[in-house]
Amino acid sequence: MEKILTKKALPQWVKKLESYRIYAPLKNGDLWNYEVIDQPEDINLDYLNTVLSPKKLIFPQRETFLEFSTSNDGNLEIKEVLPEENPSVIFGVRPCDAKALTLTDKVFGGEFEDLYYWKRRNQAILVGLACNTPPSPNCFCLSVNGSPHSKEGLDILMTDLGDRYYVESLTEKGNKLINLAKKLFEEPKAKDKKDLEKVHLDSEKKIKRQIKEIKKIPPKLKGMFDSPFWDEEAMSCIRCGVCTYLCPTCHCFDISDEVTSSSPLEGKRVRTWDTCQFPDFTMHSSGHNPRPDKASRLRQRILHKFQYFVEKYKNYQCTGCGRCISKCPVGIDIIEVLDKVRDYEE
Amino acid sequence: MVKLEDLKKEAKKILEEGKVKYIIGYERSINGSMPVPAFIKNPEDVEKLIWDPTCVYNLTRFLVDEKRRKAREKKPDTRPVGIVVKGCDSRAVVVLLQEKFINREDVYILGVSCENTGVVDEKKLAEKLKGKRIDKLEFDEKDNFIITSDSEKLKIPAQDILAERCLECRANFPVIFDELFGEKVERKLDKPFNSLEKIESLSKEERWAFWKEQLDKCIRCYACRSVCPMCYCDECVVDTISFAVTADTNAEEKAQRIKWIEKSPDSSENFVYHMVRAIHLAGRCIDCGECERACPLGIPLRFLNKKLEKEAKELFDYDVGFDPEKPSLVSSFKDEDPEDFIR
Repeated sequence: MEKILTKKALPQWVKKLESYRIYAPLKNGDLWNYEVIDQPEDINLDYLNTVLSPKKLIFPQRETFLEFSTSNDGNLEIKEVLPEENPSVIFGVRPCDAKALTLTDKVFGGEFEDLYYWKRRNQAILVGLACNTPPSPNCFCLSVNGSPHSKEGLDILMTDLGDRYYVESLTEKGNKLINLAKKLFEEPKAKDKKDLEKVHLDSEKKIKRQIKEIKKIPPKLKGMFDSPFWDEEAMSCIRCGVCTYLCPTCHCFDISDEVTSSSPLEGKRVRTWDTCQFPDFTMHSSGHNPRPDKASRLRQRILHKFQYFVEKYKNYQCTGCGRCISKCPVGIDIIEVLDKVRDYEE
Repeated sequence: MVKLEDLKKEAKKILEEGKVKYIIGYERSINGSMPVPAFIKNPEDVEKLIWDPTCVYNLTRFLVDEKRRKAREKKPDTRPVGIVVKGCDSRAVVVLLQEKFINREDVYILGVSCENTGVVDEKKLAEKLKGKRIDKLEFDEKDNFIITSDSEKLKIPAQDILAERCLECRANFPVIFDELFGEKVERKLDKPFNSLEKIESLSKEERWAFWKEQLDKCIRCYACRSVCPMCYCDECVVDTISFAVTADTNAEEKAQRIKWIEKSPDSSENFVYHMVRAIHLAGRCIDCGECERACPLGIPLRFLNKKLEKEAKELFDYDVGFDPEKPSLVSSFKDEDPEDFIR
């Protein structure tokens, strides 16, 4: 289904979706992040991109699996906690971030289905916004099978045509959202379609950065596990978690029991984000750490995204959003690292 | 004015003479926005070195890595490491020396003076540049930055994009160095703790609300800790890496392992993390502002550390990072130290 929505009508559409919880980028200080929109008028799609991707709404940084407590007779009682019923619409999802969710779907799906992930995933309707200009100077989606107007993973793709949005519904869920406010939408005319095509074509030309000959990289990485290359590249790495926590595709987690009272015993079992960049991520209980230094951790990040994931799922575990480059406190640039990998000679 | 050619010449000389193992400095990044730390081993690579007000990083953090690397080597190269430091960074070297974390002969200090300017605030600069790359950034000595970008010249008043901490800087030239580049320009500073005034004027409740909102944003990526040259503990309170389990470790021992801070990024845990870090930096933080710069969520961490710097000054008349011969604040006491907080 393809429609036209005037910009003025956007809050009215949001109002019609009152049975859903609405998430959209909101500005706080200088930064944009996904928040719950209480007032339809607060919706503002005039943003570049959010610091944290919408990953945090589907795979929150912390979620409770179960609660435990001691009953009066001294027995341990365990109560399962499941994600709440929360049909939601996430507005303004950038194509790279939507594609990222299709990649985490593979990880949390397949042989073992992660109940918690899928409960949230299935309840969320993703309304994307094409990038007419790259949200970041470090965008490189075209290099990793993406595009600034990719529809992958989205239920609806909106494209800004100046005074109006071109709204393409891509799934049943998307149709349903449009049908809830039918009167607000118009049929697209030939000119709208022509404008859309032009905007999409132009948007691709505006992306400045790329990974050249990316296909050569996964096989090349396969032979570089023991290379001194990683020591050199990791010299400036400070071992923080910015790159992985802001990454829309990184999905590693830890599960721990958080005790709130030791007598009587009470607490929660929680899942929290974790990252290969932290020293305790691979720490064995024996005291041995197979990834003892930052070189091995940087290597893990690159290999996971551009070798292991490719071998397993036939796709890069990277959608080119550029967050890890823009926000790295010491300017480590994944494009530069991969360029060097491709051209590396021992 | 710092002459980049002089810096390069000296860097080349000490590398050629084998006086240093390598030099930690700044180079322009491939995408042309901010510089990146450079680790230069070959004399011919000194051409990469840059120095301008975009050189925000406090490179002394890499002295911590260097010490660890050396400790792991069987036959370590005992030559010093050359390092480019600004005034603020040089104060970090002083603290590391005071605390005997490093020795004076471990470093060869290439000091650069900020003279009448400072470094830029990355975020403010990015806003002005709107995605354009920087080819060159100069200070015109008349309070403006001149940015050359795609052969276009952009003039921006320094005050508009200067890092907040530079407006309160107490060391615009290095306090310790082997070679100095640029002039020791004395600069008057009326209010070294000016930025604190606004937050200090808030009531207790308002301050609580302010910090709760700020610290609730924290995602515990630990960039603030990781970028800090003073956060050199072998094991940080947030990482549990030294709890070794053997065949004899029983369930009770495992259960009773001390977890100071849970991984959940909720208010209480985030407060504990940031309070622990702030207290550990009291009398040690030299206000390089790296923690705040590195924070992806824009938490104003500088306030916490600046406040403690002020406390150290007002209560103990202690200035952080100026004299390597002086004992550190927490390892010394004077008879006249206040004790009214001991109850």
